[in-house]
Amino acid sequence: MRQSLDGDQRAYAELLRETSRFLRPFLAKRLSFTNEVDDLLQEILLSIHKARHTYDGNRPYKPWAYAIAKFRLQDYLRAHYADQLHHAEDYDELEESLQEPVTETDFSYESISGEVQKLPEKQAIILQLMHQDGYTAKEVAEKLGMNESAVKVAAHRAYKVLRSKLER
Amino acid sequence: MENLDELINKLAQDTEAVKPAPHPYLLSLKWMGWAAAYLFVSLALSGLRPDVMLKLHQPLFVAEIALLVGIFISTSVSAALLAFPDLHQKRVVAYSPVAMFALFLLLILFAWNADNPPAPLPVHNFECTLGIMLMALLPAAWTFNAMRKYASTHYHWAGSIAVLSAFSVGALWLRLHEVNDSIIHLIEWHYLPMIACGVAGLWLGKKYLKW
Repeated sequence: MRQSLDGDQRAYAELLRETSRFLRPFLAKRLSFTNEVDDLLQEILLSIHKARHTYDGNRPYKPWAYAIAKFRLQDYLRAHYADQLHHAEDYDELEESLQEPVTETDFSYESISGEVQKLPEKQAIILQLMHQDGYTAKEVAEKLGMNESAVKVAAHRAYKVLRSKLER
Repeated sequence: MENLDELINKLAQDTEAVKPAPHPYLLSLKWMGWAAAYLFVSLALSGLRPDVMLKLHQPLFVAEIALLVGIFISTSVSAALLAFPDLHQKRVVAYSPVAMFALFLLLILFAWNADNPPAPLPVHNFECTLGIMLMALLPAAWTFNAMRKYASTHYHWAGSIAVLSAFSVGALWLRLHEVNDSIIHLIEWHYLPMIACGVAGLWLGKKYLKW
């Protein structure tokens, strides 16, 4: 690390490779999917690069690198669980309104297209595909590379926003 | 895996010689120097309490000032350590403000017990908190600004400790400026708000020190 702080590119590349070698098992133990490990590993290496000026060459390197890895892992897990919680809440709402048809609404798409355009981009695309182009939730999911329930959740969320706007 | 190799090569190409961060002790010494100068200038402008020489012969007052100085020093050192990802591998020193606050709490309890008959309450109240906070604004701003240049992995605590450090400068100033010996007033308007500010510091840390 001392050499890399002095600008030695080869030493730095070797250090980052070695870092990814010892961090991979650490992350793999704590995460379920390989792609998650790869994504987080990249993020950690970027953080190490960004914070390299805070490393003191007279102290061991690994505790410093692990401190950054743990920090990024906690951040990742926090965001991951918050996202899951958010989805769980949406599923709860979805279950409550299962009696209501998810893909059928009381109004035509054309009459509310102005409001639809104001929705977040993904929600607007989903509504457009489902109501203007006539795709089913499953087909939209395939088209957008999402899973079917995520499409339904997004559509449900969009309906809620539209309903509250139209009821005003 | 290919992406990772690509990233490593890219980062290695990007690297230029970087100036290592100063040692946290040196950093905290710099902050303390600025804060001490600020405190002296503020006291010179606002004036010392007229009975300061008399008060400096009272052990409880001296202990209170000494512990406030202790809190200021320990929180400054701790804030500097908390600005580094691994606390510069000095975890025990980083947590030293806990011991200092425990001692301070003991002293306050002792002073409360010794306040018999109770000293008269001053006519003002929240003005003290406001004064301390205004006085603490500048040290808080420069500490946060300095800490943002590093890489705190404990940003909540770093924010809280930085705020407490700045608040202790304000508290010191007011104790040396204001003629007031009511322990009830001190607890209510000087030191309890310190806790509230420490809690607010957790949020400030998240807002300004997250990287």
